[in-house]
Amino acid sequence: MKAIFRRELRAYFTGGYGWVFCGAFSLLAGLLYFALSISQYQSDFRHVFSNMLVAMIFLIPLVTMRIWSEEKKQKTDQLLLTAPINVGEIVLGKFFAALMLFLIALCVTLIYPILTHAFGTLDVGVTVGNYIAIILAAAAYIAVSQFMSSLSESQIISALLSMLTLSAFYFLDLIFQATTSEVLSGISRFLSIITRYRDFSGGVFSLSDAIYFVSLTVLFLFFTTRVIEKRRWS
Amino acid sequence: MIQIKNLSKRYGSKEAVRGISFCVSKGEIVGFLGPNGAGKSTTMNMLTGYLSATGGSASIAGFDVLDDAYEARRHVGYLPEQPPLYFDMTVNEYLNFVYELRRATQKKEEHISDICARVGLSDVRARLIKNLSKGYRQRVGIAQALIGDPDVLILDEPTVGLDPNQIVEIRNLIKSLGEDHTVILSTHIIPEVVAVCTRIVVINEGKIVADGKTEEIMQDLGGENRYEAEIDGDEDVAIACLAGIAGVLDVSKPGKKYIITAKEGLDIRKDVFLAAAEQNLPLLSFAKAESSLESIFARLTNKGGEN
Repeated sequence: MKAIFRRELRAYFTGGYGWVFCGAFSLLAGLLYFALSISQYQSDFRHVFSNMLVAMIFLIPLVTMRIWSEEKKQKTDQLLLTAPINVGEIVLGKFFAALMLFLIALCVTLIYPILTHAFGTLDVGVTVGNYIAIILAAAAYIAVSQFMSSLSESQIISALLSMLTLSAFYFLDLIFQATTSEVLSGISRFLSIITRYRDFSGGVFSLSDAIYFVSLTVLFLFFTTRVIEKRRWS
Repeated sequence: MIQIKNLSKRYGSKEAVRGISFCVSKGEIVGFLGPNGAGKSTTMNMLTGYLSATGGSASIAGFDVLDDAYEARRHVGYLPEQPPLYFDMTVNEYLNFVYELRRATQKKEEHISDICARVGLSDVRARLIKNLSKGYRQRVGIAQALIGDPDVLILDEPTVGLDPNQIVEIRNLIKSLGEDHTVILSTHIIPEVVAVCTRIVVINEGKIVADGKTEEIMQDLGGENRYEAEIDGDEDVAIACLAGIAGVLDVSKPGKKYIITAKEGLDIRKDVFLAAAEQNLPLLSFAKAESSLESIFARLTNKGGEN
């Protein structure tokens, strides 16, 4: 797993994807921080982060779309899948490398709470809550996008599939807000990323919401493993 | 070292490999010969665990490729048809990655240096793989298969797409690798198996049609007595003239040249020259025809059917 992790992380930066992602992420976060925090005289980061969450629906698939599609296309998956190593380890190595890239990009935003703290009052609980939540959500996003990447040889198709799926998860409760059915709105509230995110961003650590994000991540990593394993049989 | 029993692979309704069986003992260099689409790559992919068989079993160094996949894979180095290279890495980085991926236990620096020296990569270790020529990329592919010092090497068309000099180099390399490894290499080039392999397994349409020592198989194949002639003058006269020679079984003219098939073991060259001269037909070129791959496969497949 370590070998895969290191190769992937390196590939992000030699291939340019990593730099572009970090740049785009910092730019967006900076704009949002300026628009929603500084210019509004707000020390609250909630809106900055919840907007980042939407932006990540489009940013993360652009980084993860190559994870499996490219291996399949360049036939390098023949090296990985004939090595004495579990498919699960490969999937995890790739997952953690992408998560690491996200964390590197996220580090840049640490400057905002520091600035706010220096010139205003910082609500530490809310800030920490938001950081935990965005990392958990990013992990889930990466797992979902990695799964989509394992489905198609085409990077574009896998990116589009990820964006669609993530948007669906995100906007689920908006879609079902109109419904009067108890069951449907219950399901949508249960599955919706936005609902799960709300408590965290208020600075409350909610175990059930954390479990939701972790389960979503684990589930999709497991699906990815199954898809890759299944290729041997096709 | 390698045991294959009744191995088969079905893709949907198409049966790519139909129940093949053979064993390879330690130290053999086996040429897996067959036309494109015969099932060579599929068989190799099943041996290395990239694909799963739909029937039968295979084992490497005593480990079943499905039940003991982990141990079996440790004993195999694999060069697929397209070398699995990451173009954004240097040769050194790539080989280090493969070393870690395969959890090799040899001393890292020494092991990788040895392999590079052996396959002739020492001078390009710091270069990016994407900047290497096809021949060097192929060598990186072979180097990658050697990492961890596996007992068995499986090489899928290792010389395809190389220039003649590189082909000779890679063949010599494979021969030297055969001294301390068990090697299976696939190819559709007959001179290649003759030059490199100690044993030939011929596969066609997913079935083994011949299996034996290289000399035996080649002797079997060399029996056909055919000649190619280029003759000036009227075609009908020429065909009648050639067909009239004692011992000639068949005369045809599929292209520019006449193909003359004669009885096995009979040398008709003198007769052809004299007969053509007598009819005042200038003989422009004349040679014994090399057996083409197609005709060899046709013969082997027919033989397989008769047995």
